[in-house]
Amino acid sequence: MKVWKILVAVWMTIVITAGFLIQIPEIAILEQSARNLFLHVPMWFTMMIAFSMAFYFSVRYLNDEHLKWDRKAETATSVGLLFGICGLLTGSLWARFTWGTWWTFAEPRMNLAALAMLIFVAYFILRSAFNDREKSAKISAIYNIFGVTTIPFLLYIIPRQLPSLHPGAEGNPAFSEITAPELRYIFYPAVIGFIGLSFWIMNVVNRYKVLKERTTLSGS
Amino acid sequence: MKLNIQDSSKTAVDTLSSSYSGKWEGVEGIEQTSAFIQLMASNDLIFVVLGVSLIIWFVLLFYLIRVDRNVSKLEESLKEESSDET
Repeated sequence: MKVWKILVAVWMTIVITAGFLIQIPEIAILEQSARNLFLHVPMWFTMMIAFSMAFYFSVRYLNDEHLKWDRKAETATSVGLLFGICGLLTGSLWARFTWGTWWTFAEPRMNLAALAMLIFVAYFILRSAFNDREKSAKISAIYNIFGVTTIPFLLYIIPRQLPSLHPGAEGNPAFSEITAPELRYIFYPAVIGFIGLSFWIMNVVNRYKVLKERTTLSGS
Repeated sequence: MKLNIQDSSKTAVDTLSSSYSGKWEGVEGIEQTSAFIQLMASNDLIFVVLGVSLIIWFVLLFYLIRVDRNVSKLEESLKEESSDET
């Protein structure tokens, strides 16, 4: 066990505990569910970091065609998708008790986020469509570069131009002016904690893949 | 007559509080219990939610640490294997 992993474990434990225990200001409609800010929003931040890493690794793969980069890109994409799905599910639950519905097609951010997830589900379907490892890696890398490029538009640019209940619509700031300072003391550490956790998961998955490749190569 | 759907669904779903609320023993006699139980029962039971969240977090963390350790062990054993071959 590396030191940074123990640090992530302790850090996250403190963040979760403090997230429940701090006094938060009274906010109409949200009430105590404002604490979801510490959980729901870091999911998307972590997803964005993971997809950015996948973008970088995909570019590196096309650069020198070393399968190491393809492996890392695939792992980063799967972890990003994992956190994105958590963001969708937690957002849906939160919406039920603040907007009054689990899902609404009138809400652009919600639907575009779901669309973004589908783009990355398609990435894994595309990967599995090729038996040739190198061909699969190359086409997946190209697809991933395209896929990650759509994310800022789907999640940040388009939703801000449209009317929406979600914070950050119609040119509003999503976060900067409307969030109480008390919430930020937990929110920023939570973002760091979840990103650390995602690095940990990626690390384990990558090492597993290295071992798997080694054993299947020597076995055949 | 126009039915208020929310009210009717509420009465249809919430059979517990009318039938059983008088019999719930968890909320009775809190004053005589230990300090820990009294703390958990305070603040509208928010500490119960904290407890549940921490249990889930620790179980997931335990699992992640275990998988991490197993991968490390496998890495070690494969390293020895490959050094034997060469």
